[in-house]
Amino acid sequence: MSRRAFVLRGLALLLFVAFVTAPQLFAFVFEPLAANRAPAIYNQGSLLALTLSHLRTVALATLASTVLAVALGILVTRPWGQEFLPLSRAIVNIGQTFPPVAVLAIAVPLVGFGEKPAFIALFLYGLLPIFENTLTGLTGVSPQTLEAAKGMGLNARQRLLQVELPLALPVILAGIRLSVIISLGTATIGSTVAAKGLGEVIIAGLQSNNLAFVLQGGLVVALMAVLIHDGLGLAERMAARKPGRHGGEAA
Amino acid sequence: MIEIERLTKRYGATTVVDDVSFRVEEGAIAVVVGTSGAGKSTLLRMINRLVAPSAGRVLVDGEDTMAIPEDALRHRIGYVIQGYGLFPHRTVAENIATVPRLLGWEKRRIAARVEELLDLFQLDPGEFAQKFPHQLSGGQQQRVGVARALAAKPALLLMDEPFGALDPVIRSRAQDDLLAIQRRLRTTVVLVTHDMNEAFHLGDRIAVMDRGRLLQYASPGELLLRPAEAFVEQLVGTAERPFRLLSLTKVGEALEPGHAEGEPILLSATLRDALSQLVWLGREALPVVDAAGAPAGRISIAQILRHGRALP
Repeated sequence: MSRRAFVLRGLALLLFVAFVTAPQLFAFVFEPLAANRAPAIYNQGSLLALTLSHLRTVALATLASTVLAVALGILVTRPWGQEFLPLSRAIVNIGQTFPPVAVLAIAVPLVGFGEKPAFIALFLYGLLPIFENTLTGLTGVSPQTLEAAKGMGLNARQRLLQVELPLALPVILAGIRLSVIISLGTATIGSTVAAKGLGEVIIAGLQSNNLAFVLQGGLVVALMAVLIHDGLGLAERMAARKPGRHGGEAA
Repeated sequence: MIEIERLTKRYGATTVVDDVSFRVEEGAIAVVVGTSGAGKSTLLRMINRLVAPSAGRVLVDGEDTMAIPEDALRHRIGYVIQGYGLFPHRTVAENIATVPRLLGWEKRRIAARVEELLDLFQLDPGEFAQKFPHQLSGGQQQRVGVARALAAKPALLLMDEPFGALDPVIRSRAQDDLLAIQRRLRTTVVLVTHDMNEAFHLGDRIAVMDRGRLLQYASPGELLLRPAEAFVEQLVGTAERPFRLLSLTKVGEALEPGHAEGEPILLSATLRDALSQLVWLGREALPVVDAAGAPAGRISIAQILRHGRALP
């Protein structure tokens, strides 16, 4: 990693932390945008608390998507699970095709307002990239490597854990990263059903016609997405650091 | 020792391996040759049960392979394939340690074994142990592949076109290295190839297969002098026959008393090497010396020609 990239990362992180912990310091930037003496900085709750619960919803949803998508990916690449491939594809595709807003509308009557409907929407929306990348990663392992593993007496479980998953890991991580980034943005609409999150700031701004709020909410989400994308990218490169593994995205 | 008894594999209506029986003595190298699609690889893969036989059985040291759990059987049989299938995410040392680790060997014992094998295959442990497969040349990968197969001291080594991915120069060196190591460890080897030269170079016995059937299983000399079928004769190559025969005999076995002038030839050289040297130098005879350099006699063109005939 170059020195300049490192400094840039540090600065972005510093800016982000400073803004969510002490937003008042930045009031001067947003004042010109707040018309009619409206407050320049969001004042209906702590920006830090909203950021944390936004992150929490995204993290939980992505974790759940990862567990299901990776499990499905493993299942359909086993000889006895191949016939589930069309079904699994259909499930994750529906998750992706169904707009999150529509999922919210359907989920609220079933599970009520709050974090739950947002969690369901994000969970479904995040399945596809992880599933497809798991599939790509696992089917991309060279047949020779698998033949040798089998010939040396590694059983199916040992082959999966010691050979297939380690070799597919960088590609799976790329899928998780994609899913996290999509979820970070999509989570803002969760605030329409009273899920705590940064969407609240944006919606409050839209309702009171306060451009400063809208911009604040948007910027915090964007900065967070960039930082997390970058951080996970680093993790992927670490996983692919061992030479011979093929990294890169395949979604 | 390995005994193959009436081994057969059918896929639907096609018979890939048809009622094949032969046995390989302890410490011998058996080479299975044939054109592609002859069923060689399927035969090999039935020995370690990567392919389930439709009929027949395989005995390893008298024990029916079907009586041994699949994975345990494979831990006991080394397996080398074309392209080697090294684990790209593991170092050379980790690759070699695969089977010992599965068997739950102690760490120190594994480390010692890895080092021993790297030495045996002339790969400096300090330099190579921590390298990854993609950092190795083709010849080095091949050696790691064989070392990995030998790690748990298997009694039997199966090799499926193990030299197929190497260029000719490195291939012949790799074959010599394998022979030297095999003579030292006395591991029983069953090797599949489509290369007749390789078969004659390595095999104590050669099994010729065609369309799933075993046509002949015999020593290289017998294959040349008494081919069982026209196909065997054709596969052996009629034009190549005398030269193959010469390459099976050592100079020491055809030695004549007396001396000759010129560059001496080693007792351990083959008659084919001696002939080529004589033709190249334009001489009728050359002196022969033993490994220490002491004169042992001479070898002449006429004497060599006597050994290259079908009937003595």
